[in-house]
Amino acid sequence: MAAPLLSVRDLTVRFRTDEGMITAVDGISFDIAAGEVLGLVGESGSGKSVTAKALMRLNPGNTDYAAESRIVLHTEGSDVDVLALKRARDLMVVRGGAVSMIFQEPMASFAPAITIGDQMVEQLLLHTGLTKRQARAHAVEMLGRVGIPDPNRRIDQYAFEFSGRMRQRAMIAMALSTGPKLLIADEPTTALDVTIQAQVLDLMLGLVAEMGMAILFITHDLGVIAQTADRVAVMYLGRIAETGAVRQVIRHAAHPYTRGLLNALPNIDDPAAPLVPVPGDIPSPLERPAGCVFHTRCAQAIAGLCDVQVPAPVAIAPGHAAACFALAPAPAPVERPA
Amino acid sequence: MAFSTATIAPDQKTREAYFTATQGQLIWARFRRNRAAMVAAGVLLTLVLMGLAAPFLVPHDPTSAGRNPDYLNGAPQIPRFCDHNGCSWRPFLYTLERTRSIQTNFRWITSVNTEKRRYVQFFVQGWKYELFGLDIDMPDERFDLRIHGITMNTHLFGVDTGGIHIFGTDSAGKDIFLRTLHAIWTSLSAGTIGVLIAFVLALVIGGISGYVGGRIDGALQMLTDAIRTVPAIPLFMALAAMVPHEWSAERRFIFIATILGLISWPTLARRVRTHLLTERHQEYVVAAQLCGATGGHVIRRHLLPSFTSYIIVDLVISFPYMVLAETALSFMGLGLKDPVNSLGVMLQNVTNADVLLNYQWYFIPVIFFVVMVLAFVFVGDGLRDAADPYSDHR
Amino acid sequence: MSVAPGGEHPIHVAIRDLSVHYPLGRPLFGKPPMVRAVDGVSLDIPRAAFFGLVGESGSGKTTLGRAILRAAPVTAGHVTYRDAEVEYDVASLGKVALRDFRRRAQLIFQDPYAALSPRMTVRDIIAEPLEVMKLTASREETDARVRKMAARCRLNLEHLRRFPHAFSGGQRQRISIARALVARPRFVVADESVAALDVSIQADILNLLKSLRDELRLTILFISHDLSVVAHVCDMVAVMYLGAIVEAAPAHMLFAQPRHPYTSALFSAIPSLDPDRRGQAQRLIGEIPSAANVPPGCRFNTRCPFAQDRCRVEVPAWREVAPGHHAACHFSDELQPLLYARAPGAAPG
Repeated sequence: MAAPLLSVRDLTVRFRTDEGMITAVDGISFDIAAGEVLGLVGESGSGKSVTAKALMRLNPGNTDYAAESRIVLHTEGSDVDVLALKRARDLMVVRGGAVSMIFQEPMASFAPAITIGDQMVEQLLLHTGLTKRQARAHAVEMLGRVGIPDPNRRIDQYAFEFSGRMRQRAMIAMALSTGPKLLIADEPTTALDVTIQAQVLDLMLGLVAEMGMAILFITHDLGVIAQTADRVAVMYLGRIAETGAVRQVIRHAAHPYTRGLLNALPNIDDPAAPLVPVPGDIPSPLERPAGCVFHTRCAQAIAGLCDVQVPAPVAIAPGHAAACFALAPAPAPVERPA
Repeated sequence: MAFSTATIAPDQKTREAYFTATQGQLIWARFRRNRAAMVAAGVLLTLVLMGLAAPFLVPHDPTSAGRNPDYLNGAPQIPRFCDHNGCSWRPFLYTLERTRSIQTNFRWITSVNTEKRRYVQFFVQGWKYELFGLDIDMPDERFDLRIHGITMNTHLFGVDTGGIHIFGTDSAGKDIFLRTLHAIWTSLSAGTIGVLIAFVLALVIGGISGYVGGRIDGALQMLTDAIRTVPAIPLFMALAAMVPHEWSAERRFIFIATILGLISWPTLARRVRTHLLTERHQEYVVAAQLCGATGGHVIRRHLLPSFTSYIIVDLVISFPYMVLAETALSFMGLGLKDPVNSLGVMLQNVTNADVLLNYQWYFIPVIFFVVMVLAFVFVGDGLRDAADPYSDHR
Repeated sequence: MSVAPGGEHPIHVAIRDLSVHYPLGRPLFGKPPMVRAVDGVSLDIPRAAFFGLVGESGSGKTTLGRAILRAAPVTAGHVTYRDAEVEYDVASLGKVALRDFRRRAQLIFQDPYAALSPRMTVRDIIAEPLEVMKLTASREETDARVRKMAARCRLNLEHLRRFPHAFSGGQRQRISIARALVARPRFVVADESVAALDVSIQADILNLLKSLRDELRLTILFISHDLSVVAHVCDMVAVMYLGAIVEAAPAHMLFAQPRHPYTSALFSAIPSLDPDRRGQAQRLIGEIPSAANVPPGCRFNTRCPFAQDRCRVEVPAWREVAPGHHAACHFSDELQPLLYARAPGAAPG
């Protein structure tokens, strides 16, 4: 089996704030294979955005990565330990080089006072060996590929001259122009109308199939994941509750949180089904429950176990694992202190 | 999201206290955690109290009667505990003697007699003064304000003979420490009056402008901008020339303070207007209007509380500008004059070489003022950081 | 405006040719372009209905909701509010009648973080409508009603002393609902009331709205962009596009068989939770035009995959294409088999 493109092991991200150390991500591990679409699903406070930014080392200055955290990017020939990179030059490989990112708010990824073309060319010059003229030609080609009409003229326009839909596409063009191996999409369609969302998703998947790259798709929308992802990881309050193939997880959800999420989700194909909310509220990151982070809202919580020990992932089927004591035949051995 | 800023470990009582904290309490809690701001606030409080209690702190009479004719331009006299004659648990000063000296053509020379000690005593009796009294002499007799304070004649420290001048004296023999304390108080008062006037005007004009909007807003903004463009220094020069000579020092003081306020309201008004314009469109205001709330209700319950904290911050931050403006004006001779003490007045005397070379202690008040202005700035910054307790509510 | 006694009229709010137009900017010469946010809308909202109003951004649904409550200025048309006691022409109400109307019709806001005054306790927030409209005689009575409504909205009564910053998004939305309902209105507009909430909390609020509707016999106009949510809770649905209603029907009929290409496109765009159901029958081209520049003829013609010449010239009539089911499309009957349905058992395409 080929080595995964990206492997994350025991990633723990904490922030130093006035209120103390806030743990945003707590010991998560996952792999992304080359060419695969992995969906990272979670609600607010799940830590999915922080994880994405950690992959590109984009978190703010008060971030603290735990010593045992490892993010390893396997590019051709060499392995890059992302968290160990120090110099800005070295970080370039993850920032726009092998790894690229698109955001929820397209206006935020374009500098307002520079033309789109200048930004794309600058990115290409930084990450590839193209000359300026070649870079411009490539940028025009990318804009055409994402469906922007008249790219030769558009490339010299500013971000505000683009409509919302085109900005999203231009952002995708810019992100993909350097030919990254991994595209991180951080809620790229959340702010879009559903008809535009459909267009953008079609575009992304088409380009990905063409260019053979992997996507880490971060969203709270399980419907989008069901349609676009190969595998999915469900996050809750900084931990991964369940991982597996999309069909497996959606049809045979094992973790109580995943099941609760699916029951609470309005499904347009089944309007008569009742909406069953997950009881309670999402705890704030400052008050993460001890033991299994979901135990405060879980109907199956076992007193004395779930509130004390952190559950390790339990294999349910090949490639499908959920971290829940109720699934294990016996309480899992303690891997770290509660 | 509910989270506690009071402590790290979620303690139920503190959490409940946080949940039920009013805006004022939240601001105070955040302000308290800002160490620089708390220190600055303490310093400010100390300075204010010192200014208030000036007559108590200094054994000298602020009027001309308190001058020390024997010690003109005298260096600071720091009490000591030990000298070649041994140590004493009471601080003491050396005696100064004036003799005519042959070397200087029989002019007076002050020499220090290290054998004769004058002990510093605490809580001595001295001249009478009135604490916390108010005596404002307005242009019209009917508006004079007179509130009687506490009459005392105890002073914090003093010596049995001669005077004690811990900051030295100036060319007239007046104690600089005393003048400094009075100057602090004068500057603070002028600043307060100016800020109050500016605040009232800003609230009214900026408030109407921001709340009503439309053409009235446009017209008022034009007025505001016009006043803003008035250059301050020529204006003050003109006013200084206009002030009748027979006005008392206090009247002049009120006049200058009022003018300071009248010059600075435009900036504050613009801030009030901006706050109101944003707050007016907040969803909770719309919600109140959808219940049929009248304008008065909306202003009272929603708009005013929403920017009170910002206005207080603006006021505190504009204070040092007032103080500095008054200082600059007085220094140039356009503001207050002797015998009213203010930093600017005191600095008027420092511009000759004699002082710069020989009597450097004239600059000691400057340190006080730098400290005071910095304290205001730190407190203002701390308040501004603390003043939006709802900014990180997600 | 007259007080009409008698039994309960089946239609609670009747909207006829309602238009809300805004001028865009103020050029030096000539008239400014008008944004036709709501353009000639006619709708009947039956009593005790959970009526869904769906549309994307720029459709004008929020403006319509606010215009019904007179929170947005009405340019033309009529909104008639009828209940057992009064009948109002909302656009032309005088001050006194307007206050009475406000008691009967309320709004639940979208953003739970912005809709609550951060400087008032929860008790004061919920009590504000009672105090402003002077509906109670004493503070005890106000308190009693506040507690009753808070309990109905499943708020912990001990939390009434707290300030909004102590609460999560879902709890704040419940406070918002309690505030809207404390004056016992009969008609409530819920403007994207669950859009800002997490999925697990959304279900909670939706269930709460449903149970409140049953308990208090409310008529709810539920504005949303999320068709999945609307499918679950609403019994009637109207679809808006660029300021006009393109289709309106009982929910089960709409989802079983849409009769307008836009509705069909919306349905096909919603990603299904079933990974094997990857149907994309219709993808729209382009994006929604500006409301200042409404296309001539059928306003959907610029994006409609079935547009013909007639669509670019002639405005389609609002007609009944099936019992209780209205749509505005020239070719609604011809297109019926091609339109994408979403109810169980309906085949895509």
